[in-house]
Amino acid sequence: MTEHHEIELRHHFDDELDEIRLSLVDMGSLVLANIRRAGTVVLENRLDEVDSVVAADLPINEANDDLEAKVFRILALQQPVATDLRFLVASTRILYEMERTGDLAVNIVKSMNRIDGVPSEPVLEAILGQLIGAAAGMFSRGVEAITTMDADIGLGADAEDEETDRLTSELFSAVTARQDDLGLEASVALFYIGRFLERIADHGVNIAQNITFAVAGSFPEDH
Amino acid sequence: MTDDPSAPPARTATGIEAEGPRVTGGTPDDDHAVIIELDNLNVFYGDFQAVESVNLPVREKEVTAFIGPSGCGKSTVLRSINRMNDLIESARVDGSVTYHGVDLYGPGVDPVQVRRHIGMVFQKPNPFPKSIYDNVAFGPKIAGYPDDMDDLVEQSLDRAALWDEVKDKLHESAYALSGGQQQRLCIARAIATSPDVLLMDEPASALDPIATLRIEELMYELKQDYTIIIVTHNMQQAARVSDRTAFFSVNVDSGQRTGRLVEFTETARIFTSPDKQETEDYITGRFG
Repeated sequence: MTEHHEIELRHHFDDELDEIRLSLVDMGSLVLANIRRAGTVVLENRLDEVDSVVAADLPINEANDDLEAKVFRILALQQPVATDLRFLVASTRILYEMERTGDLAVNIVKSMNRIDGVPSEPVLEAILGQLIGAAAGMFSRGVEAITTMDADIGLGADAEDEETDRLTSELFSAVTARQDDLGLEASVALFYIGRFLERIADHGVNIAQNITFAVAGSFPEDH
Repeated sequence: MTDDPSAPPARTATGIEAEGPRVTGGTPDDDHAVIIELDNLNVFYGDFQAVESVNLPVREKEVTAFIGPSGCGKSTVLRSINRMNDLIESARVDGSVTYHGVDLYGPGVDPVQVRRHIGMVFQKPNPFPKSIYDNVAFGPKIAGYPDDMDDLVEQSLDRAALWDEVKDKLHESAYALSGGQQQRLCIARAIATSPDVLLMDEPASALDPIATLRIEELMYELKQDYTIIIVTHNMQQAARVSDRTAFFSVNVDSGQRTGRLVEFTETARIFTSPDKQETEDYITGRFG
């Protein structure tokens, strides 16, 4: 007895779209893992881990190239419209956001290398710890939006991101207050690290807002 | 023959350098064997040359699409693959069409046997004025199919994704079906004789968009088991369903219109970065 089947319209096209979505989540997980690895380098002065953060950026770049080619191919061959078109256009933007975030994790550990580790100072360490957690958390919300295709995450993302902005300002004030002890080089490096972390959170916001665009048809007003 | 004198010589699937249009029908990691090879194929109707010098390898279990403007010879080339042109008295073919290495125009080759291995689906659904069941069973019955005919009919209809829609009315007239269903019945009829190649000449051009997408999805499934060659006027359809695309165009010399192959390569390449300006002009709607 034959096992019967019916034709589901554009079934393999739907599979291709879902594969893109799952690959974006996988790439986001690689980026998130590297942000956390970079955070450990900063908080625990693990300069021996700098090279592994740099190396972990390579598969992220490869995933970016691979996915970009796949999206380009689907755009050319499948004539996507409406939700499908928005999702694919959003995917190319999300790829850019993720690839840049991967580079920022590398920039953070390179800044650490330049100053031979963060000076041991409890207030700075506390703020940096919170800021790393907030930035990684915000990026993680972006990846969560892709996983769940939840438009609401993007709608609230800008407000959620205020915590990262506040901690970045706090870090800048703390560094400014201690610049004589820290010295110019360490102060500048810490400013950079704060700036990189703030940008990581911004990329997380942008990712979530692109999912809002894909699902709901327009960007949140604060985009 | 080529417009671009600087174009590199074509490389056929056999690796033999040949003069002519750019053929890049293979990638280094390609594991699909060539099942049909057109070698310097020319088709004439009386004194009129319809197609000139087509070299084209078709790989098994892929969908190969032929596109191009009207009169470019794409249907003529398709029909030469299962010797349908034999039915036109003035038609003459030279060059060769090989199938599993056998020259289909060689002495002693029976065109009826050729068509059993290389089935055809036409533009307009053309079921026989018989029941759904008899439409599918017709070919196997003539060929003396030795096993259970009911099973074969069921299996063929299922492969054509039609079984569930017709299982309760197998003995009703095929004409009672919708156009899209009739076309899937014709596909079921074509695969009932166990061919391994299906030629499709504009199989969806008489159907509505939903029935068209259903045929396209079916083609995607069928290529797991069959090699498919499709002629289509609908470039987007070629993009959606095919693995490789051949673009044909037409030369107008002294009042004669002779079709020729301009470019044959992977479909993704044709639609993202074709090698020939002529192909680009056609697919972007700037010519044709």
